[in-house]
Amino acid sequence: MKQTVLTVENIIKRFPGTIALKGVSFELYAQEILALAGENGAGKSTLMKILSGIYSHKEYEGKITLNGKECQFSGTAMAENAGIAMIYQELNMELDLSIAENIVLGKYPRTKWGSIDWKQVHIEAEKALSQVGLKLDTNTIVRNLNPSMQQLVSIARALYRKPQVLILDEPTSVLTEGEAKKLMQIICKLRDDGLSCIYISHKLDEIFELCDRTVVFRDGEKISEHRKADGYDSSKLIEDMIGRRLMAMYPSRVEHIGKEVLRIEHFQVPHPFAYGKNMIEDVSFSLRKGEILGLAGLVGAGRSELVSAIFGAMPRNTGRIFLEDKEIQIREPYEAIRYGFGFLSEDRKKNGYIWSMNIRENMTLVNLRSMVKKLFVDAKQEDIVAKEYFRRLEVKAPGLDTMITSLSGGNQQKVILAKWLMSNIRILMLDEPTRGIDVGTKSEIYKLMQELTDNGISIIMISSEMSELLTMCDRIVVLGKGVIQKEFSRGEADEVKLLQAASCT
Amino acid sequence: MRMKTKSNGFHKFSDWFLHKPESGIILILILFVLFATIVNPSFLSYRNVINIFRASGFTLISVVGMSMILIIGGLDLSIGSVYALAALICGMAMTASGLPIPVAILAGLVIGLICGAINGLLVVYTDIPAMIATLGMQYIARGLVSAFSKGVPIYPLPDNFVEIESMKLFGSVPIVVPFSIILAIIAHVILSKTVFGRSVYAIGGNQEAARISGINLRQTKMTIYILMGGLASLAGILMASRLGSAEPSTGAGLEMKVICAAVIGGISVSGGMGTMLGAMLGALFMEALTNSLTVMKISVYWQNVVFGIVLILSVLLDQYKRTMIKRNSVKTS
Repeated sequence: MKQTVLTVENIIKRFPGTIALKGVSFELYAQEILALAGENGAGKSTLMKILSGIYSHKEYEGKITLNGKECQFSGTAMAENAGIAMIYQELNMELDLSIAENIVLGKYPRTKWGSIDWKQVHIEAEKALSQVGLKLDTNTIVRNLNPSMQQLVSIARALYRKPQVLILDEPTSVLTEGEAKKLMQIICKLRDDGLSCIYISHKLDEIFELCDRTVVFRDGEKISEHRKADGYDSSKLIEDMIGRRLMAMYPSRVEHIGKEVLRIEHFQVPHPFAYGKNMIEDVSFSLRKGEILGLAGLVGAGRSELVSAIFGAMPRNTGRIFLEDKEIQIREPYEAIRYGFGFLSEDRKKNGYIWSMNIRENMTLVNLRSMVKKLFVDAKQEDIVAKEYFRRLEVKAPGLDTMITSLSGGNQQKVILAKWLMSNIRILMLDEPTRGIDVGTKSEIYKLMQELTDNGISIIMISSEMSELLTMCDRIVVLGKGVIQKEFSRGEADEVKLLQAASCT
Repeated sequence: MRMKTKSNGFHKFSDWFLHKPESGIILILILFVLFATIVNPSFLSYRNVINIFRASGFTLISVVGMSMILIIGGLDLSIGSVYALAALICGMAMTASGLPIPVAILAGLVIGLICGAINGLLVVYTDIPAMIATLGMQYIARGLVSAFSKGVPIYPLPDNFVEIESMKLFGSVPIVVPFSIILAIIAHVILSKTVFGRSVYAIGGNQEAARISGINLRQTKMTIYILMGGLASLAGILMASRLGSAEPSTGAGLEMKVICAAVIGGISVSGGMGTMLGAMLGALFMEALTNSLTVMKISVYWQNVVFGIVLILSVLLDQYKRTMIKRNSVKTS
């Protein structure tokens, strides 16, 4: 039997009206990668917030033991000092500080005079970086790094604190598949060097490859435990996660593709930060009625910028837009919406929802104008419409008055989708619609996409998940180096071909 | 599942406190009125109440605009100067140019609208932060006042103009009271019941999300800044009518007082939250406080200390409330 590093016993966490964790227990052994799997709202993140000290020990019941000592954290600094480090799903770094400063932040090496020992700072930073296999100038400003580099730097920061337990919450959600592979190798190496990891992910293939043991959560309870040594059974695992037999993840795609609806010609989109550089050099494509067009490419290939520019949310240098063969002018999103465009953005928090509003207000944001009766918003009408979509999309929340920030990622995504569904859209652009979303909700979103195209709506979908693109899209356009590298129709492409085209080889 | 609790008084109270956006200011106001009445029994006399309402009417006109600006996530520091400039232009038009009173008032208003429009243009079309753009306008407008008046008040103003402010409703209520309250009610209805109002809240909550949801940022922001200029000049002109003179130094520091009233009333300085009703009560509270401090013979010099303390306390109360709301409704996955 391996040595136990961390024991969690009977953790109960209550929120008014709900119990998020109903007496959860598990152990983490030395030199092990333990996966926590479960749908959004299963209680994984709540548990991690307890372990990393975000919720103080007064706010939950139960016992946490680290190396035989009971821990009672009342802040993240205490947890870090005890040896539990956490890597969050969303990168949280000081973007305008250097790599070195980010790594040692809050724990600066000091000279004997008490001032910061800058020489030592850079030595320590380099040491931490080498542990994640990076060799970079430690003076580089973090903003200039790409997301995967930033992710590795944040791991280096955690390692600098010499943790015994490293918690990673969806670390690959901002990475491409190649980058994710590299990250997983690094995590394996860290384990072999003596670290214990808790790995949270929605991506089962990652869990299967990386994790020695998997604990499945559902509705605040531990449901089952699976070992890599016994062989993982994916359908059993998914069943445990969603608690019902897994229906087909993807709906069977029925195409009724009609005439061309949208054509864009010669789009050139400038880089949002680097002056004089272009994200998209010259891209033209068309979209037909009822079609799902996939945009593939690596992170940074300019896919999001391209659709944002079509929608008027970003400026473009050149480019013409034709709607049913008539040229239209779009300079701002409100103009695009008038022509029947909808746009589900990549970053929900940044430009998806409005945090100070509740579910109802977020849902009706686009379509509020149609609910006006004699100058004023008809509250009854608004309520009826919002309720209809609340039910149709099966949003899990106490009611329409619930603030959107208190929902899980998948439910937030449903609310934002509802916003577009209730307005008269003809073309819906989805930027990573299933990122960070649990299996059940994902499948619901795919079904919804099928329904929309049944009704003659055309969809442009950006995704970094190959299987999603390959099964849902009627046509896939691969972007790279600012131009279209390749175009595949359904059935032509496979994962290898897509990746080859995307990496411009 | 919500636990069944005894409907005891405290539970009801805490529920009301957390879910009513104006609860903080209502609570403060009630406690304050109780306190002031105990210290000075004539505080609630008809005359004194009318006085408080009259004084808060002037603040309220600007508070209406400032609340909208703060909710949309902006700021306007120029209102005190615009207030003075409008009064001066109006006064000069009546006396030096001999224009009819309505035309002179219109001239004052137009100046205010123009100042607001310039603020709006700067905020919307350039990257200058609202604080800096409107600070610049503060200096420009105040500078114009000094340049035009050379530091000398315009005095006396025509009797017919002076009579405007001293008009009374029901024989004893000064006209500014119903006027400002009606303005506030209109603004309240616009904010809470119209698409425009919803857009204002949306922009203040998350500007980019609002833009992607089809809200015309430029148009909405421009409207609010122009409105603010108009309201500030309106208040300035009314004050000139009350004083019978257009003073070059009038309105100095008005912006801070108005921001203070709005914030005490629960308007968030970071945007997206707050109600007009709260802001209105905030304005009332500020004047009630000034009034009772004066009645208690506390010197003007010390009054500012009290304002500072009250401002900080009210924001603390608001923050406490917000963390309570978060604790009670956040259930993350």
